[in-house]
Amino acid sequence: MSDNEKKHDPDTKQQKIKAVSRMKEIMTNYYIEAKSAREQGRKVAWITSGGPVEPLIAMDVIPVYPENHGAMIGASKMGGQLCEKAEEMGYSRDLCSYARADIADAVYKQGPIGGLPEPDMLVCCNNICGTVLKWYETAARYFDVPLFILDTPFVHREFSQEAQNYVLSQIHEYVGFLEDCCGRKMDYVRMEEVGRFSVEGTRLWQEVLDTCAHKPAPMTAFDAFFHLALIVTLRGTQETVDYYKQLLDELKERIRRKIAMVPNEKYRLLWDNLPVWYRTRWLSDKFASHGAALVADTYTSAWSGMVPDMQGRSFLEAMAETYTKVYINISIDMMFDIVAGMIKKYDVDGVVMHSNRSCKPYSLGQYDLRRMIMDRLGVPTLIIEADMVDERSFSESQINTRIDAFMETLKA
Amino acid sequence: MGRYRAGKGRALKNSRRHRLREFQMNPEDRFYSACLDPSGYARGLKQRTCGKILGYFCSYAPVELIHAAGLHPFRILGGKGEIRLADAHLQSYCCSLVRSGLEAALNGSLDFLDGAVFPHTCDSIQRLSDIWRLNAGFEHHFDVVLPVKLNTLSARRYMAEVLNGFRKELEQAFQVEITDEALWRAIRDYNVIREKLESLYGLRSFNPSLFDPSAVHRITAAAMFMEPGAFLKDISEYLGNVEPGVLGGTGSGRKRLVLSGGICSHPDIYDLLARAGADVVWDDLCTGTRWFEEKAEEDGRDPIGALADRYMARSVCPAKHADVRARAGELADTVRRHRADGVVFLMLKFCDPHAFDYPYLKRFLDEAGIASLLLETEDHPPAEGQLMTRFETFVDML
Amino acid sequence: MITAGIDIGSITAKAALIKDGELAGTRLDFTGYNAPKAGRRVLDDLLEKTGIKKQEVDFIISTGYGRNSVDFADKSITEITCHGAGARFIDPGVCFVIDVGGQDSKVIKLSRDGKVVDFAMNDKCAAGTGRFLEVMARALESDLDEFGELSARADVPAAISSICTVFAESEVISLISKGESRENMIAGIHESVASRISAMAKRLGVTGPVMMTGGVAKNSGAVRALENKLGVSIRVSPHAQLTGAMGAALLAARMEQSA
Repeated sequence: MSDNEKKHDPDTKQQKIKAVSRMKEIMTNYYIEAKSAREQGRKVAWITSGGPVEPLIAMDVIPVYPENHGAMIGASKMGGQLCEKAEEMGYSRDLCSYARADIADAVYKQGPIGGLPEPDMLVCCNNICGTVLKWYETAARYFDVPLFILDTPFVHREFSQEAQNYVLSQIHEYVGFLEDCCGRKMDYVRMEEVGRFSVEGTRLWQEVLDTCAHKPAPMTAFDAFFHLALIVTLRGTQETVDYYKQLLDELKERIRRKIAMVPNEKYRLLWDNLPVWYRTRWLSDKFASHGAALVADTYTSAWSGMVPDMQGRSFLEAMAETYTKVYINISIDMMFDIVAGMIKKYDVDGVVMHSNRSCKPYSLGQYDLRRMIMDRLGVPTLIIEADMVDERSFSESQINTRIDAFMETLKA
Repeated sequence: MGRYRAGKGRALKNSRRHRLREFQMNPEDRFYSACLDPSGYARGLKQRTCGKILGYFCSYAPVELIHAAGLHPFRILGGKGEIRLADAHLQSYCCSLVRSGLEAALNGSLDFLDGAVFPHTCDSIQRLSDIWRLNAGFEHHFDVVLPVKLNTLSARRYMAEVLNGFRKELEQAFQVEITDEALWRAIRDYNVIREKLESLYGLRSFNPSLFDPSAVHRITAAAMFMEPGAFLKDISEYLGNVEPGVLGGTGSGRKRLVLSGGICSHPDIYDLLARAGADVVWDDLCTGTRWFEEKAEEDGRDPIGALADRYMARSVCPAKHADVRARAGELADTVRRHRADGVVFLMLKFCDPHAFDYPYLKRFLDEAGIASLLLETEDHPPAEGQLMTRFETFVDML
Repeated sequence: MITAGIDIGSITAKAALIKDGELAGTRLDFTGYNAPKAGRRVLDDLLEKTGIKKQEVDFIISTGYGRNSVDFADKSITEITCHGAGARFIDPGVCFVIDVGGQDSKVIKLSRDGKVVDFAMNDKCAAGTGRFLEVMARALESDLDEFGELSARADVPAAISSICTVFAESEVISLISKGESRENMIAGIHESVASRISAMAKRLGVTGPVMMTGGVAKNSGAVRALENKLGVSIRVSPHAQLTGAMGAALLAARMEQSA
């Protein structure tokens, strides 16, 4: 099929996704806006990546994501040095590297953007981990600003009625918290509008990811890691909806023109866990050299799982359920069901799991998940040991060997 | 060095140890034997009573409900044996409590359990629950997903609902009815146990030389292994035999310390500190005061509400959320109240909630002029030589 | 008044004699497997060297890992306190001591009157200790004694990012195969050691003049790297790993005096 075409294609630029420049523009503007919030008389809230951002947007508060910032620190290869600073401050080096790098950057402002804009309030949703709770408590003490915690009970087997009621009442408390911090009332009409953008943006994001079901895949998980930023930070805005429409059009066009992200795509792999931010390029090249494309991942799809089932409810009500049942807030067996679905949907040949020292809720259980994938689905699965931001926990020679050996087994 | 007095009955115990049968043992012997071999104790209990035993890891496990259902709640504090099976399920960056607990479940050391209950604790215990449920093969498994927030009305309401849900699950699983009466009885039993432990701690703080350095630690641990009625009888008898004597500690030149952290499963630490010239007089440990402080209300109206209120009121575990500055203030107060000279932090390696709190606790103590020492522990404590070097220097420093 | 300090470390045994407030002599030997014997031997040799008779020694303090096995000592004190006292003896201005030995590294904060006010030690991990340097010297087939001189000739220190000694060793081996210069690699290794130690030092807060003691203090490359990391100049104890024994002898003199 496209193999020959690709080989004869003189234009390597064609390989690149053009929407990237628009994305960079949006993110740059967003950070400039956030950094100048004080001058604009606007408030800044720090919020966790799985947290409900929509009410903030409806209240015209600028959401800032320390985790996104952590990823930037990692991609800029500044993780090791900032983590070291945090260790000097007494934080154990076994703690999450997002948290360590961000805590150090809040104090020393030595990161890629010279420190995040300081928060007026903190919004922490523990649907991704217990670490964010401790991290935000640290921030609440350091900045001495109000902290709201949205406590989303872990779903081991079912999302009980009691838990639903609890989360729903907290959603109302959350709105009250924002009204107190901003000194004005929530505009519920505006809230529903933001909700509609959020739902549409999330659906579009899923469609973007779905293009990778096509063979060859028009992009890979390494692209998804990059394009994810908007659905995390600016979910609920027109801009995000427009951007993903643009991206989706481009990907469809690539499919039509048979442009593959990995030329000679032979193997289709699924990535599990957060990216190794300081080595995305290296890993991408490494897999591509074996003709392997990472066509899906459990990480970026976690946000597309956030499409609420409205059932005639208001956005806020539907949100309670959506935020509680995100990929990482569920049991290993429920995670397996989702992974199995993805393996089928994207016709995956193998799974690569990043055992991430920084993220216990994501990583502990991977050995069991791996066994389930291998035993029940017969799909080979590789585990690589690393860390998402702290490059001091990355052993290139060891990972090189593991990937080569894994690809040998796939090819055999 | 080694100037501490042997505890009451200890010498006697050693001389008679070999010819004593269990029924001839005194309370202290029974505490020690339960502590030395908790599994052995549980197997013996099961054989004698044919009762069911439910394991738990966390100090937020509602032991009163388990007791009221006619089951025995048994705390799992991890083992010290070699890890062979758990490594197939857990990465190297998982704490030794979770690792050794899973090992024990997989290798048969916990074969007397009929099941386990996992209150929501931390990220690692949360995943342990899944791995345990999928691999350990016990008949019963309960997840009690308690709120993480402990300072709002909605969390209090949810707390009571979750406890009620657990009550129903227990009733269904074991085909029993947990009546309000039974629950009140259980609440009273545990309240008395907590009261006794508090007296024990108080006596030690009053005069540390009354006890073997690790005695109070062992007795408190025994309270988490032993059948509540039996423990209650023994602790009452034991306390009745303690003569407080004169106020100890002052003028003896020995230093008074508070331990702070998660679990402590190393009785040796108390002995080594004693050798270095310091007595532990109080703690803020999950296997210490956080397990027994604060009693449930006994006003006879709403037993589940009484349990929920206790969890909301007791000193907070760092995996839960209340006031963001509460722990530091409470720790400094504890130090002052017990006229302690310093704090030893026992940090279980890879325990995130505690590790996140450490820098601010340490700074708060520094600012309050309270010296502290950090000790990172795993299932095996650091080599004795290294430990003694730290302890002696710390005690010299005070 | 004559007092002695004996420091039994994991690799070497050290002895120092102090006579009327002045250092009368020092001696260093390998510990071997018999620590009590090593303590006796190193003291006897020193007495012979200085011509002082055993009965003239008024007070003996033992320190180091094997401090409790020195049965003829009058008292034992940890090496942390002794290194603090020894550093102060050598240089009365010192307020912060970094002691890096074979298997341990320690940072010690001293009060104005020379008392230990805070300290920290490395955990079980060998990163940031002399052992780490030994492993790397073996990987590079170099002599550890040349490390300081070689690293001074580096142009760009190689980046050794792994914290783990085992991973770092494989990193060094892969750098060798990439043709990185030995000088740059050694400089990178020193930076790695310095990172670990400086993190520990900064946790306590470095205040006032810093002195480095212990065997690694003799390695000028490691000292330089540490100075860069901490942003302060470091005074190197001229007696390096003998500082603990000297401190012990000094503390013995104080105790004898106040007795």
